[in-house]
Amino acid sequence: MKRFLALILLAAAALVPAAWTPSAAQSSQAKAERRDPIFLRFPEMAERYWVSTDTSAASHKVVAVPMPRQCAFLYADSYTKGQMSESEVQQMALSNCNHKLAELGPLGENYSTDCRCQVVVSNERYVVPRSSLPDDSYGPVSIFYRDPGGNVARVNGVAKYGALIGRDRSVRFSVDNQRGEQVCEGTFTNSAPASGLFSLSCFAGKFSGNGSYQSKTGAPNDHIIARGQTGRGQPVVMVIGLPAQLAVATYGGI
Amino acid sequence: MRHTWMLLAFAALAPATAFGQSAGEVERCFQNPAACGQGGGAPAVPAPSSGAPVAATRPAAPAPDYTTVLQSPEPDRRRIQESLHTLDKYNGPIDGNLQSEATEKAISDWQRAHGLHVAGKLTPQEAQQLNAEASRTPIKRIEPPPQTAAAPPPSPPPSNADALKALNARLAERRKAAEPKADAAAQSLIRDLKAYVAADGKGVAGDQFAVFAKWYADNKAAGRKVGEIAPIIDDYGEAKVGAAVASEILLETKQDGNSQSHCLVFAWIEGNPRKNTQAFSCDDVAAVEKWKTDQALKSAWR
Repeated sequence: MKRFLALILLAAAALVPAAWTPSAAQSSQAKAERRDPIFLRFPEMAERYWVSTDTSAASHKVVAVPMPRQCAFLYADSYTKGQMSESEVQQMALSNCNHKLAELGPLGENYSTDCRCQVVVSNERYVVPRSSLPDDSYGPVSIFYRDPGGNVARVNGVAKYGALIGRDRSVRFSVDNQRGEQVCEGTFTNSAPASGLFSLSCFAGKFSGNGSYQSKTGAPNDHIIARGQTGRGQPVVMVIGLPAQLAVATYGGI
Repeated sequence: MRHTWMLLAFAALAPATAFGQSAGEVERCFQNPAACGQGGGAPAVPAPSSGAPVAATRPAAPAPDYTTVLQSPEPDRRRIQESLHTLDKYNGPIDGNLQSEATEKAISDWQRAHGLHVAGKLTPQEAQQLNAEASRTPIKRIEPPPQTAAAPPPSPPPSNADALKALNARLAERRKAAEPKADAAAQSLIRDLKAYVAADGKGVAGDQFAVFAKWYADNKAAGRKVGEIAPIIDDYGEAKVGAAVASEILLETKQDGNSQSHCLVFAWIEGNPRKNTQAFSCDDVAAVEKWKTDQALKSAWR
């Protein structure tokens, strides 16, 4: 029995590096660039990856994000100067990404797709097809609305917006429901690097609101919180970047 | 032709059911934007291709028309069941079967409550009325508690934040249980390290931790004396061959009245002698984590 187990372990050990070492085809993928959307999306990570002297010169540099593209609202980057192999650093990035994802809670109320962490950049090379990566920013979105009767609507989906939010003066965004149907669109107009005004229009203008937003970084995850009112003065809150349950727990009490 | 009837009835009532921005409507429209006439403000239902004269003659029909609704497209029939469900009249499957016992009973209940002829079937007008009523009804799960707060609220499912809090509490409890053993193991190491220093580079600490022996030799060669030695537990837990300990050890060295602080992580499996011993620079977090992975450490500390 022990021999059998040992055989299984050996087989698993033999397979693990194969699973994490980029194949010849993968390693010939495009070279990562500082101005690529994934780095624009996560500026703090880009700083560590390309600029910071502590990490940018690491012998191995790996970035993992949840995929497919609409799931890429968080990341994990790992670096080493020690004796770790590239595949070990990849495993570490993947583990950290999975840990972050698990910590934020379930995504089922936002996504109908299965979001799974994947190593996407390793040693300045994309290890997934470049075309599979997001060109825009995506994130889970929750919209809360209190009607004149005091009833609160809480709806969840996925938001898509320009990667340069906070740098471009105005960034358009759209909101899809779980079935992938676009239900809302709007604009963020920044007045400061991490804050500004937003407008939201849903169901062909039948429901709309506007107000101000703030971009927050750090725990539990980088997110945007937008608070405003409808034309009738009813409060509307939109949270981008937190899964539904966490968004409700944090901002649901409008 | 019968479908045209129903479409006409829906179209005629459309202004009365204009979007009123109720929370329930917002939720429904979000789930099904097509039903809200999304797309440049077009009406929710297509204009009938023909049949205006039929609309004019419809009110004069002597007998109620129940077949139109019964033979309406499945999504329309499902919607009727959903409306009955929203109004707490129906709790069966949403399968579009309007002639099931449960659905007919639900329709009868609704008709009775509205003073209509109780038939267990709906006319197009009744179907429209039913759907409109349901669309105005707030969804129960999001209804806020009444201002009086008379009824005790049902216990909500634990939020993510609560779950995290509970997890942290469990971790703290587990760590507290492991603390005496972890401290004892770290103090035992400190004794050996001090003994090694006292013996000027001889003893088990140097035999077990080559990195420490080298560190001591380097400092001795540089004329530095070792001062305080203090531990901080980094991790503790069961590993595949025993209890594993990883402890940051702060080592002070002195030279010409100046003191310097150094940091090494000592990792080992408890035993006499210690097993699988290794020491790392405190900066080399990745290597420490790799050691833990190699030992299959199940942390009772983090």
